[in-house]
Amino acid sequence: MTSPAPGDAADSTRMVTALVRLHHALQDVALPLDIADAPAQRQARATMIDQLEDYVIPRMMTIDAPLLAVVGGSTGAGKSTLVNSLVGTRVTAPGILRPTTRSPVLVHHPDDGKWFGQDRLLPEFERVDHATNDPGALQLVPSDLLKPGLAILDAPDVDSVEEQNRLLAAELLAAGDLWIFVTSAARYADQVPWEFLKLAAERSTAVAVVLDRTPADAVQTVATHLARMLASRGLKDSPLFIVHEGTVSEDGLLPSSYVAEVRGWLDMLADDAAARHAVVTQTLDGAVRALAFDVHAVADAASGQAEAAHRLRADADMAYDEAVSAIMAATEDGTLLRGEVLARWQEFVGTGELLKSLENRVGKLRDRVVGAIKGKPQQAERVTTAVQGGLELLILEQAEAAAERAERAWQMTEAGRGLLAQGPADLGRASRALRARAERSVRDWQQDVLDMVRQEGQDKRTTAKFLAYGVNGLGVSLMIVVFASSAGLTGAEFGIAGGTAVLGQKLLEAVFGDQAVRRLALRARQALESRVRALLEDERVRYTGLVDALVIDEEAPARLRQAARRVDDARFATQRPDLGAGLGFDES
Amino acid sequence: MSGLLEGAKNLVTKGTDIGERLEGLSAATDAATGRLDDATVDGARGVVERAAGRLKLSSEHTVVGIAGATGSGKSSTFNALTGLELSAVGVRRPTTSWATACVWGAEGARELLEWLGIPERHQTTRDSMLDTRREGHELDGVVLLDLPDHDSTEVSHHLEVDRLVGLADMLIWVLDPQKYADAAIHDRYLQPLRTHDDIMVVVLNHIDRVPEERRESMVADVRRLLDNDGLQKVPVIPVSAKLGWGVQELKAEIARRVSAKKANKQRLEADIRSAAARLDEASGHGRPRSLSKGRVEALDDAFAEAAGVPTVVDAVERSTKTRAARATGWPLVSWVSALRPDPLKRLHLDLGAEGRQLAGRSRTSMPQASAVERSRVEAEVRALADEAGEGLGAPWQEAIRRASVSRMGDLSDRLDAAVGSVDLGVRRLPAWASLVRVLQWLLIVCAVGGLAWTVLLALSGTLSDDSTPKVAGFALPLVLLVGGVALGIVLALLCRVLVIGTARARAAAAEHRLRSAVGQVSRELVVDPIEQELSAYTALRQGLAKALK
Repeated sequence: MTSPAPGDAADSTRMVTALVRLHHALQDVALPLDIADAPAQRQARATMIDQLEDYVIPRMMTIDAPLLAVVGGSTGAGKSTLVNSLVGTRVTAPGILRPTTRSPVLVHHPDDGKWFGQDRLLPEFERVDHATNDPGALQLVPSDLLKPGLAILDAPDVDSVEEQNRLLAAELLAAGDLWIFVTSAARYADQVPWEFLKLAAERSTAVAVVLDRTPADAVQTVATHLARMLASRGLKDSPLFIVHEGTVSEDGLLPSSYVAEVRGWLDMLADDAAARHAVVTQTLDGAVRALAFDVHAVADAASGQAEAAHRLRADADMAYDEAVSAIMAATEDGTLLRGEVLARWQEFVGTGELLKSLENRVGKLRDRVVGAIKGKPQQAERVTTAVQGGLELLILEQAEAAAERAERAWQMTEAGRGLLAQGPADLGRASRALRARAERSVRDWQQDVLDMVRQEGQDKRTTAKFLAYGVNGLGVSLMIVVFASSAGLTGAEFGIAGGTAVLGQKLLEAVFGDQAVRRLALRARQALESRVRALLEDERVRYTGLVDALVIDEEAPARLRQAARRVDDARFATQRPDLGAGLGFDES
Repeated sequence: MSGLLEGAKNLVTKGTDIGERLEGLSAATDAATGRLDDATVDGARGVVERAAGRLKLSSEHTVVGIAGATGSGKSSTFNALTGLELSAVGVRRPTTSWATACVWGAEGARELLEWLGIPERHQTTRDSMLDTRREGHELDGVVLLDLPDHDSTEVSHHLEVDRLVGLADMLIWVLDPQKYADAAIHDRYLQPLRTHDDIMVVVLNHIDRVPEERRESMVADVRRLLDNDGLQKVPVIPVSAKLGWGVQELKAEIARRVSAKKANKQRLEADIRSAAARLDEASGHGRPRSLSKGRVEALDDAFAEAAGVPTVVDAVERSTKTRAARATGWPLVSWVSALRPDPLKRLHLDLGAEGRQLAGRSRTSMPQASAVERSRVEAEVRALADEAGEGLGAPWQEAIRRASVSRMGDLSDRLDAAVGSVDLGVRRLPAWASLVRVLQWLLIVCAVGGLAWTVLLALSGTLSDDSTPKVAGFALPLVLLVGGVALGIVLALLCRVLVIGTARARAAAAEHRLRSAVGQVSRELVVDPIEQELSAYTALRQGLAKALK
C-alpha cells in the first residue's frame, strides 16, 4: 500500500469530522409520531447510526486496518462449515439444527489483533475469547492459518426465524469491507437474501457470492441461472465461487480442495495491499455515499414529523379557541339573561310586568329596586346562583365539545391516531376535575366582581346611595350588565333582557357615574375571559402536552441536511484533491 | 352478498351447524358495517363470501394444497403422491410458477376447480387416465394442488400462494432441512394460521439428506418451532419424496382426513371462528343495554326548556287569564284589559285556523334557544349516549355518540314545528264564562233599567211615593240600580278566582300536550338513533354467539 500523502490525512480528518457531525445530527433527530413512513425511517435512522458507529467512523480513522470479510447468508446454506474450511480449522460450531450460529466469530491473524480491539469496529460488542451464545459478544479467534491483512467474520443467518439473528446479521454485514455471501442450490432464489444483495449493489459494497452445497449434477444449471440473476441485479462484477456438496470431516471441514478457489482468492487479496485498499475504499465510499443520500429521507421524515406535530397542536388550539370564543359570545349576546337568570333577576327587582311598563322611568323605579335589594338580600344571592349555574353549564358543555372536536381532528390524521392510542382513554371528554374547577372559577369571578364594586365604591362608601344598594346588589347588577354589554343586544325578545340590563346599568350609573360603569363592565368582562381561558388552557394542555412530550426539534432536519452536505463535500474533496482547496470547505 | 349467502344456505347447509355459524357471522358483519373499522369488517365479509362460495360447491371433494418454500420439494411431493410426473421438478429456482391440480374422481370437481381459478390445462384427473397401477381408492375425492413458492424473488408467486392458501380445505406445508427455520414461512404463514391447526399437516422433506443419527433431533427441532408457533396439534411427517420414504404415511394421513369429509367444513369453521373472534375483540364484551327512563326524561326536560315550553305555558296561563277575565269581568271596565297585548299573539302561537292555513307551517316567534339551554340539551344528549355506550367497546361508543348527534342539526326547526303544531286550547272560552257574560250583561241591563226608572221617578217626584214598588223597604228601581251594579262587581270578583283556576288548568293541559310533542321530537332525533345502534350491537352479539358457539 502506498503511504498516504499529507493531503490525504487532512482530507481524512475532514471526512471523519463531517461523519461525526452527521452522527450527532442523526442522534438528535427523533421520529416519535406514527406517520406514513416513520417506522421505515426510524429503522433507517437506527441502521445508519449503527453503521456509522460500527463501521464507517472507525474504518475511516483506521484505513490501514486489515480487510474484514463478513460471511453472511441464509440459514442452512453452510456458512459455518465454509468459514471453518476456509480457515482450515474448526473455529465456529456448525449445526444441523436451525438456526445455528448465534454469537458472531471473528477470525484474524495473531499480528492483526490490535486492529480489532474494543474501540475499533463494532464497539458495542463485547470481545470474548471463547464460544458463547450471547449475541452481544464478539468472539475473537487468532489463527496462524489466516494470512495477515484479512480477517473473516462469521455472521448469523439473514432469514432466521429468530428476529435477533436477523438484526445481528444485518448489523454485521453493514460493518464488513467485503461480503462473502453464501447461498445454496435450494436457496439462491430466495427473496430475503436478495434484498441484502440489492442493498449491496446500491451501496457498491464489494460482494463475493459462494454457491454452496450444490449437488454435482445441478451445478451447471444453477450457477448459470445465479450468474444471470446477479448480472441483472447490478452485481455482475462480483466473483461467483462454487463449492460442491461433499462429505464433511470429523472436524466439520470440507476437503480443502473444495474451497481452494475461494481461499486462493482471499489469499490473493491479503497479499495485494493495493487491491485490498481498493476494496476497502469501494465499500467505504459506497457506504458514505449511501449514508449521505439516505440521510435526506430521514430529514424529510423529520420535517414531516415537525409539520405533523405543528398540525396536531394547531388542531387542539383551534378546538379550544373556538370553545373560548363560543363561551364569550354566549355571555355577550344577552342570551344568558334568559331563562333562570332572568327569572331570578326579575324576582330580584320586582315583577316583570311592572318593569316593562316603567322601564323608562328609572328614577321612580329605583326606589322600588332599592327596597327589593334592601328588603330581600337573599334574592341577590339567588341571582348569583343562577348566573353561576348558567355559566358553569356553558363552560362544561363547551369544554366537552372542544375535547370532542380536538379528538375528531386528531383521529383524522395518522399521527393523531397514534398519539390518542398512547394517551389516556378519556381524552375525547372534558377532564373529570373540570366540573369542580369550573365551579370554583365562576365563584372566583363573582368574587372578583364584588371586589371591584367594593373597591370602586371605596370613596363612595359613605354615600347614601352606595349604602342603600349594598355591595351584593351592585355586584349582581354589574354581572347582569356584563352579560348584556354588547351592542348587539336587541330588546325584541320581549324587550326584557335589554330592559333588564338597562335597569342595572342605570342603577350603577346612579352610584358610580357612567364612565366608571363602562370601565367596570369592561374589567369584569376581561376577568371572566381570562378565567375561562385559564380553565380551558388546562384542558387544552391534555392534548398539546402529548405533542410537547415528544420533543420534536424543528431545527434538527436542517442540521441533518447540512451535515449530509458536509459529508458530500468532504467526499468530493477526497475524490478530487485538486478541487478540495477550491471548495472553500468551512470548518466552522 | 346476501343473495350469495341465501343461495348457499338453500343448497347444502340448511339447518346445519356450519350454515348457522355462517349466518351468524353474516348478520354480525352487517351489524358491524360502518361501526367497526373497515379492515376488520372487510375481512369478515371476505370470509362470509368465501365460505358461501365454497359451501355451494361439491362437499364430496377436499382441496388439499401443498405449500412451502422454493426448493423444499413441493413438486416432488406432489408427484410422489400422484404417482405421476405432473409437476416439473428442477434445480432452477423457482421451478413452479403456477398451481397444478390433480383430481381423484372428477364428478362435480369442475366447478370447484373453476372457483379455485385453476385453468383446465393445469388440471389432471386421476381416474381419466389409462391408469394401470391400481392402488385403491384411498384418495378418492381429493383435489391436490401443487402451489408455487412463497419465498422466491418472484412476487407474483407469493400472491398466488396467498390466494390459494385462503381457499384450500387442507394444507400440507413442505419444509426441508435447510429451510425449516426460515422466518418467511413461520412469521407469514404458520403462526398466523394457528387457528387452523385442525387442517394442517407439516412434512419435513429431503430427510434422506440428513445423516441418519441426526434425523430424530431435527424432527424434534421442527416440532419445537411449530410449538412456538402455537401449532401443537399439527403432525410432522418426515418424508423423502425422491426415495419414497414416508409417502405412504402422508397419503394415509390425507386419506384419513379426506374420508371424514370434514376438512372443508373444518377449514370454513376455523375461518369463521377467527373472523368472528376479530369482530368480537374489536367490539368489546359489554352486555347490550336499554336506555333508562330517568335519563330519557331528563333529556325531554332539556328539550322542553330549549323549545321554550315554560315560556309558552306561562303565556297560555296569562292569555287565558286575560281572555276569561275580559269575558267575565264587569263589562264596564273589562275593555281596558283589551289594550294589553295577548302574550300568545305575541309568540305567533295563536293565529287562528284561517291564519294557520295561510301561514302554513311558518315559524313561530319563539325566541331561539339560548346558549345555556342548548348546552343543557347537549349535555343531556351526551349523558344519554354515555349511558347507552357504557361497557361497550370503543368503536361502539363512538358509533352511539355519532348517532346521538347525527340529527341534532334539525333541532331548532323541529322543536319550533312541534310547539307550533300543538293545540294550546285557548281559543274557546269556558262554558261558564259565556253564562257569566250573559248574566253580567243582564245585570247591566238591570242596573241601567233601574237607573232609568229611578231618574224618571225622581223627575216626576214620585220616587218616595208608596205607589213605587218596594223591596225590603227600598224602592225597587234603586234596588235594581244598586243591586245590578253591586252584584256585577261581586260576580266579577268571584269569577276572578275561577278564572285563575281555569288558567292554571289550561296551562297544565297545554304543558302536557307540549311536552308530549317535544318528547316525540327528542325520541326521533336522539333516542331512536341511539336505539338503532344498540339494536345493531345486539344483532352483532347474537350473530357472534351463533358463529362462535
